[in-house]
Amino acid sequence: MKKVFLITKREYITQVKKKSFVLLTLLAPILILLFGAIIAYMFKANETHYNIAVADESGVFQKIPSTSDISYQYIDVADVESVKATLKDTEALDGLLVIPKLENQDFNRLEKESMLYTNKKVSFDSRQKIATAISSEVRKEKIKNLGLDENEISDLNKSFTLNTENIKNKTKGDGDFEFGVKSALAGILMYATFMFIVIYGVRVMRSVLEEKNNRVVEIIISSVKPFDLMLGKILGVTLVALTQFITWIIMIVAAAVFFNQSFLSSPETLSGAASSASQFGNIEQMFGMISHSLLSLNYLSIIFVFIFYFLLGYIFYSSIYAAIGSAVDNETETQQFTIFAILPLTLGLYGSFSIMNNPDGPLAFWLSIIPLTSPVAMIARIPFGVPTWELAVSMLLLVGSALLMIFIAGKVYRVGILIYGNKVTFKEVLKWIRSS
Amino acid sequence: MLKAVNITKTYNSGEKVALDNFSIEVPKGSIYGLMGPNGAGKTSFIRIINQITIPDSGEIYIDGEKLKPDHIKQIGYMPEERGLYKNMTIGDQLIYFGELKGMSRKEAMESAKYWFQQLEIDQWWKKKLTELSKGMAQKIQFVVTVLHRPKLLILDEPFSGFDPINANLIKDKIIQLKNEGTTIILSTHRMESIQEMCDYIAMIDHSHKVLDGNLFDIRERFKKNEFHIVLEEVNENLFQEFQQRHHLHDVVRKNGLTSFQAKNENNQHLLLEELMQIGKIRIFEERIPDMNEVFIHAVQKNTTSTEAIFTFH
Repeated sequence: MKKVFLITKREYITQVKKKSFVLLTLLAPILILLFGAIIAYMFKANETHYNIAVADESGVFQKIPSTSDISYQYIDVADVESVKATLKDTEALDGLLVIPKLENQDFNRLEKESMLYTNKKVSFDSRQKIATAISSEVRKEKIKNLGLDENEISDLNKSFTLNTENIKNKTKGDGDFEFGVKSALAGILMYATFMFIVIYGVRVMRSVLEEKNNRVVEIIISSVKPFDLMLGKILGVTLVALTQFITWIIMIVAAAVFFNQSFLSSPETLSGAASSASQFGNIEQMFGMISHSLLSLNYLSIIFVFIFYFLLGYIFYSSIYAAIGSAVDNETETQQFTIFAILPLTLGLYGSFSIMNNPDGPLAFWLSIIPLTSPVAMIARIPFGVPTWELAVSMLLLVGSALLMIFIAGKVYRVGILIYGNKVTFKEVLKWIRSS
Repeated sequence: MLKAVNITKTYNSGEKVALDNFSIEVPKGSIYGLMGPNGAGKTSFIRIINQITIPDSGEIYIDGEKLKPDHIKQIGYMPEERGLYKNMTIGDQLIYFGELKGMSRKEAMESAKYWFQQLEIDQWWKKKLTELSKGMAQKIQFVVTVLHRPKLLILDEPFSGFDPINANLIKDKIIQLKNEGTTIILSTHRMESIQEMCDYIAMIDHSHKVLDGNLFDIRERFKKNEFHIVLEEVNENLFQEFQQRHHLHDVVRKNGLTSFQAKNENNQHLLLEELMQIGKIRIFEERIPDMNEVFIHAVQKNTTSTEAIFTFH
């Protein structure tokens, strides 16, 4: 055991000391924010403001309000032709909306004969906005013609919320909102696990390859058993990844606290916020509801299960990666194997969407029990609650498989490191596992 | 110190035989040479001792005990393929390897410092491998091998990559270790190393042991009563007569010297007397066969007769 610790320590220190690690850990959150900001800016910068002249013969659309990206200018019906002529060459005007006379409340004909003339390509969503503005006015008119008022109509459209109660578990069924929160949580956790395994699993593989390539391997293997070596490496890289992860979480939390404090304490920002107060109020309300909903979940068990499957799923898959690294000579050769390695996990990821829809269904059950897919599947299931015995079985299987996988990786390592320069096929690897 | 009994190792489910009923005994405190061409089975055997691979059948005993995981602490191994971590400092690496072999951190540091003095490389503690030349790296490799004061040292081609001066330095250290009681197994092609250093040898060819025993005895046994002679100021007539009386090989006349090999079935003294008549004797030595010749001879014998395993105890 002491040897495992020595190897873990070396792996950890070597990787953490690397400049690339320090840079990535500190800069990554900043880079992601920067990236997000740039994308947001790009979207905003691409927004164009349109000036649309409106000639409304029907008289119905005088009330379309100008918005931040579309300005409506109302002109006389008589001026339509001259405006159309200038439209071709002018920069000041982008489009001309011509709506004919409304006869006998025939809105369908109105729709067919209305036209938007443009002198450039008007963006898709601006066109949609114009169409939506028009259709809402049409709707109001139609309602007026039917002799109803707005309230009666919204009453018609009200959706029916079904209350459920599970008399077996004595729990109240999820409302739509709770379901949304749970699904979002499940999705985020699951995706984080998946990305983590893919990104960090490869590091163990690289570490094995590096030792093979600089031939250190033969001295090491004469001092340590392959199983201990594999375990040490995997744990070492796990700790590196955890360190990075925790650093990021601390950075994010610190940033959130900092922004929260400075935001609340400065009066200008508060008054500035007052103008968009209604929006802000909504967001605050939203956060409040979300956190309330999250807290009402069994969050302790969710955190525990998440950490367990996160770590063990990672250990399981890194042993597979370690075995691949042992069998080949360089990174290009690893690709023929890594694709197959990551396939089950990907299936688990996409299968999990169905799990969220039906957390107690047969697919959910099997995906969360089988060790290849359980790291992601069980994490997706846990916000919805899982029977204790299923959880226990799944956890035991995962632990057992992880240990077995490390053992197999050790065997592959033992043979693989002594073989240089031969192309290895999957069949040969199987032979190695069966022999020695 | 080490005893191998009927070690057999095959690869590819019996297709390739690396070792076939290989048995040797390495006396304690000796330098034991393992000789043979590439692919003969030396490296396979060494890997079995180091518990990197397991034999198909047969046993290894260290000081009477069957080979077990604990033994790795007592064995130091310098593989033919040298390798160290490129980005760790030398000092850190040595401590790491020492600890892997069961030393405490303190012990590893003390031992490393001792060896640095011995090999005159004090100033390298904080350097990285990439800052050293190949020869320097080899020295470090040697230190890694002996750091944990092993009782048994296994060196696979230890001199390859060393310039003559450093090769000599390492040779001296090896002999020093032997004098301190370490048993050393030396696997090499270099005949000079074998002849200069080894007390015992074993020869292996195509997975079989061809020959083993005390080096001196073996060479004596393979003596062919040949003499290497160099004469000065030769009396031509007498020399011609001499040439007809005896069978001479490789006669070379250059720079006023006459050198040749002669076979002598009779008394050495008689030969000497004859030569003294012919000219001034510059060199007169009995040719002890070098290991190349012994090996070729032994392999030939091995392939022509099934029972020709020469063992000298």
